[in-house]
Amino acid sequence: MSRRDYLGEFEHMVILALLRLADRAYGVTVRQEIEVRTHREVSIGAIYATLDRLEAKGYVKSRLGEPTPERGGRSKRFFRVTAKGVTAVNRTQRALHNMTEGLGLVRCYS
Amino acid sequence: MTYQADFVQPPRVAGWLVSLFTAAAGAESILGDLLEEYSHLASISGVAFARNWYWRQTVKTIAHLFGTAFRLAPWSTTAAVVGGCLLLRFVMWLGDKFLSAVTDRYLLFWSAHFKAYIWLLNGLWIEHFIAFMFVGSVVAFVAKGREMVTTMTLGLYLGTMAVAGSIAMATRTGDDYFLWRLPWFLADSLVIVIGGAIVRLRRSATNTLRPD
Repeated sequence: MSRRDYLGEFEHMVILALLRLADRAYGVTVRQEIEVRTHREVSIGAIYATLDRLEAKGYVKSRLGEPTPERGGRSKRFFRVTAKGVTAVNRTQRALHNMTEGLGLVRCYS
Repeated sequence: MTYQADFVQPPRVAGWLVSLFTAAAGAESILGDLLEEYSHLASISGVAFARNWYWRQTVKTIAHLFGTAFRLAPWSTTAAVVGGCLLLRFVMWLGDKFLSAVTDRYLLFWSAHFKAYIWLLNGLWIEHFIAFMFVGSVVAFVAKGREMVTTMTLGLYLGTMAVAGSIAMATRTGDDYFLWRLPWFLADSLVIVIGGAIVRLRRSATNTLRPD
């Protein structure tokens, strides 16, 4: 992996949602967390496509839970961020911080 | 959290469409998540709102999965589309040869030319249906795991070419016959996608039945 391998905007949001939700992170909760915090309607397909991509990069890991009746007997797929994923978030956050430092964005929006 | 609307079923067609575009393992999680949120929404906002939400999610999810599948393998998808076009040309050439041969052989025995016209018309319908269904199935069979994205791309390509060609011919000749034929051409594209969906469903059924 290159040191310039930063997370995309939506990947960044999804990983932050996983970190917030900890062991409660699966499709529904991740989608709702992003929707509530960003006021942006997100499709479940977008969440899974991003999570699959992050899993392929080694940034997240998934496991299947027990089937539940309210899901028609289907299992939940729980996700957690790996150490590599945490490193990627930190790198992206640092890059964003470096880019925004000194711009006075808070003052502009207030 | 408990859900009161456990018995409210989401739109079946929408669920079926989602499962067409996702791998068997992915479909289980996605459909489970959709059903969980649908039941919750139906209990707090009503079934009509929940159904609307479910359809919106389905359309967005399919568009996203389609785009992602194409971005992940653009070259193999393009190769499948080009191969499908070449195969279609060959199959149509074979079909035309067959139709011409049968017409030439039996035309003398037919009492009226009207019957020959009817034979050709029906023969063309059947030839088109078989050829496009065959090509859709072959393309889907080769593109394992990406059956829908390849057949839909091929169908969209052929449909776009048909629309552009028909409009160009109608403009050039001033004859609206080409525009009247458009539904026929678009139906051909749809048959390709149906061929892909049949292969996809057969594969899903086989994977479900096979023990791990």
